[in-house]
Amino acid sequence: MADAAPAGALDLEACDAEPIRVPGAIQPHGALLVADRTSGRAVQASANFADLTGAAWTGDPQPLDVLCPEIAALAREVPAEPPDGALRTVSVNGRAFHVTAHGHGPLTLMELEPVIPGAPTSFEGLYPEVRSLLRRLEAAADMRELCAVAARHVRRITGFDRVLIYAFDPDWNGEVLAEDGSGALPSYLGLHFPASDIPAQARELYLANRLRLIPDARYAPVPLSPPLNPMDGAPLDLSFVGLRSVSPVHLEYMRNMGTPASMSVSVLVEDRLWGLISCHHAEPRLPPPPVRIACDLIGQVLGLQLGARAHVEAAEARNRLKSQMTDLLAGMTRSPTFAEGLSANAEPWIRLCGAEGAALVSPTSVIMAGRTPSREEVEDIVAWLNSQPRQDVIAVDSLPAAMPGAERFRTEAAGLLAVSISELHPSYILWFRPELEQTVLWGGEPHKRVEPGSDRLHPRKSFERWKEVVRGRSRPWRTAEIETAREFRNAVLNIVLRSAEERAQLAEELQRSNKELEAFSYSVSHDLRAPFRHIVGYSELLQERAPDLDATSRHYLENIIDAALSAGRLVDDLLAFSQLGRVTLQKSRVDMDKLMAEVLKSLELDLKDRQIEWRIGKLAPAYGDGSLLRQVLFNLVSNAVKYSRDRRPAVIEVFAESNEREAVYAVRDNGVGFDMRYVDKLFGVFQRLHRVEEFEGAGIGLALSRRIVDRHGGRIWAEGRLGEGATFRFALPHLGRERSVG
Amino acid sequence: MADLRPILLVEDNPRDMELTLAALSRCQLANEIVVARDGAEALDWIYRQGEFAERPPGDPAVVLLDLKLPKVDGLQVLQQVKSDPQQRQIPIVMLTSSREERDLVRSYQSGVNAFVVKPVNFRDFFEAIQDLGVFWGILNVPPPPTAAPTT
Repeated sequence: MADAAPAGALDLEACDAEPIRVPGAIQPHGALLVADRTSGRAVQASANFADLTGAAWTGDPQPLDVLCPEIAALAREVPAEPPDGALRTVSVNGRAFHVTAHGHGPLTLMELEPVIPGAPTSFEGLYPEVRSLLRRLEAAADMRELCAVAARHVRRITGFDRVLIYAFDPDWNGEVLAEDGSGALPSYLGLHFPASDIPAQARELYLANRLRLIPDARYAPVPLSPPLNPMDGAPLDLSFVGLRSVSPVHLEYMRNMGTPASMSVSVLVEDRLWGLISCHHAEPRLPPPPVRIACDLIGQVLGLQLGARAHVEAAEARNRLKSQMTDLLAGMTRSPTFAEGLSANAEPWIRLCGAEGAALVSPTSVIMAGRTPSREEVEDIVAWLNSQPRQDVIAVDSLPAAMPGAERFRTEAAGLLAVSISELHPSYILWFRPELEQTVLWGGEPHKRVEPGSDRLHPRKSFERWKEVVRGRSRPWRTAEIETAREFRNAVLNIVLRSAEERAQLAEELQRSNKELEAFSYSVSHDLRAPFRHIVGYSELLQERAPDLDATSRHYLENIIDAALSAGRLVDDLLAFSQLGRVTLQKSRVDMDKLMAEVLKSLELDLKDRQIEWRIGKLAPAYGDGSLLRQVLFNLVSNAVKYSRDRRPAVIEVFAESNEREAVYAVRDNGVGFDMRYVDKLFGVFQRLHRVEEFEGAGIGLALSRRIVDRHGGRIWAEGRLGEGATFRFALPHLGRERSVG
Repeated sequence: MADLRPILLVEDNPRDMELTLAALSRCQLANEIVVARDGAEALDWIYRQGEFAERPPGDPAVVLLDLKLPKVDGLQVLQQVKSDPQQRQIPIVMLTSSREERDLVRSYQSGVNAFVVKPVNFRDFFEAIQDLGVFWGILNVPPPPTAAPTT
């Protein structure tokens, strides 16, 4: 069964036991003659030698010069070591033969095949075809096209019904990458086959002898005569003999498959068996030696091209991965944290390592993207990773074999690529690959292309077995992908590290500037107030000592005192304002009705001699810092009182208008109002819309109110018309709906 | 019963000192007013050491202590006196320009008897000082002497 691939589901052990190198027989489409180079005598021949050539072979050693002088010279010229040999066209007893000769130790093995009339007799005749093939291979865009071109040309020069390009994976499972066919045989394109279809010893032979041919599986083997080498009594090694007879099991398989003729050519890439050109025919078919040589050449050129392409593709893949990584990192920098950056760039993140799903796991969160196991399963994977020896990068293409319990999510994560991103915590970036079987079934549903064949042996069964082999396995992680993961890890560590450093630096600066501000306001509060106090104090002492001062002097003194007093208040207000940024809010449920009552009480003095019509509604409770909210309400209500003092009566309304997001409180008066053009200035520090002598005050109340409302995550705004009153509203988010505010 | 022990005013700013003395003088107190110009001097007086080693023994009726002082600041003076079992019964009133909450908190934590923010308005300031003088100098009954009996 070692002679053609893809082969069927035969018993592997039987195949391993098969004496494939020393079968003691050849196929009947040619004859074999073995000569001893030292003595120049023929020592062994196939039983059909005499019939085919007309030479008188008796089975006893005899001089080659006598037996078959036409090939004696060739026998001497052939290099002693296989596989290098020679191909000639020689006439023996008036009949034309292709003679293929190769040396094997002291022996020269010569195979004679009759020249078929009408078939190419030399390689030269095939040259135009080969030249066109070389050109097309050069032009092929990628590996698949290379294979397709090779398959097409091999079929054209051999006339086989079906030519497959069959590639091995690292575990020697095979996949049909390209196919060219006449339609007489079923298509195998896209099918996968298990490694056992082509046993190790066969692959070894394929490496040494690049071409196998069975023109007709119904042949009767031709024994050697004598059966053993008369010089050493050993069976003859037919490893490099093209006529070598193959396993009867394999022949049966071929017959059952309806492919009596088959040929396979090894494709080597950098001295490794990369794959096969595998040809089948629905009828017996014998491509002559020059055609086979052309096929061998095609196989070699294909191998060289594949090797060169692989290098280029690997380099391109590295560059592509690198630029993908650069793009991803650039995309991530637009997000505040690298975790958000990853989830915002899920697609490139997953694609980076050619995965179908990814996850970012830290002790506090799991972020998942694409096709992944469940969150609990991802956590199980992380627990398993933590139990493993610590590694920066872990690549597994059969997680079910490595991790207990991983079987249940093999359809999402048969393959795992994990990078650890923290020395301190169990934090990982994970990439997942689904089970290969799943991938392939989705990719092609190849079973639909396979027609029913023999009950006993069938590629479909082979495919089934391949599925068994790859059960629980993913496509393996390539070196470039693992390296990319490693580089990405380093980049992420840099980002995390850098942002941590930046945060630390920022916090430090913030702390420093906070401290400076604190020290500043502390010294302001101590040192700036003192001189104002002294001015007031001395002025009043002076007033007392000089009761007889004239009116103008008294007026001056009073103004000095007033000015110093208001400067002192200014300092106090400023300090209050700056302190507000630093205090921590003491939030709780606040009874706004009660707060309003307190505000009215504290305004009692100002309300003396005033005629105010109060319309105070029921106020919804708020969530916030009670004493600060009292200040807001106080500021708004006292403003309303102040700016409505010319009205008879003044009307002041206080009411709530809550909605589902926030509690809104409003204070409306019928006072002097303001021009909406200046509404933006209302809430600025020391911004006034009225002259000082009209309405007293430092102009800080509303700024303070806005700052308090801001710190609660709320908003404050005003509407008004000059001479027609004003309405001030502030809104506070309900509990649980606050946005975070520094 | 009037307590005629001296009142110790600790104040570094000459204007504040003058204004405080002016205010106290209106209370018509019989108590002597002793002025220390920094924290070190205040401690020397209280502990009868250094320059004041020879002063007659006896605690002050009250210490009016400014917070911000050269050398040893008011808070340190307060802490030292209040942590000394021999002296902690001396009433100390912190006078300060500052409305800083942390000063208030730290002063109370250290056992201050009263904390007065000097108002800008001189009339208020006068009233505050006079109240203090009257309360600690006249109304307050001193604790029985627990230190070594005076001769």
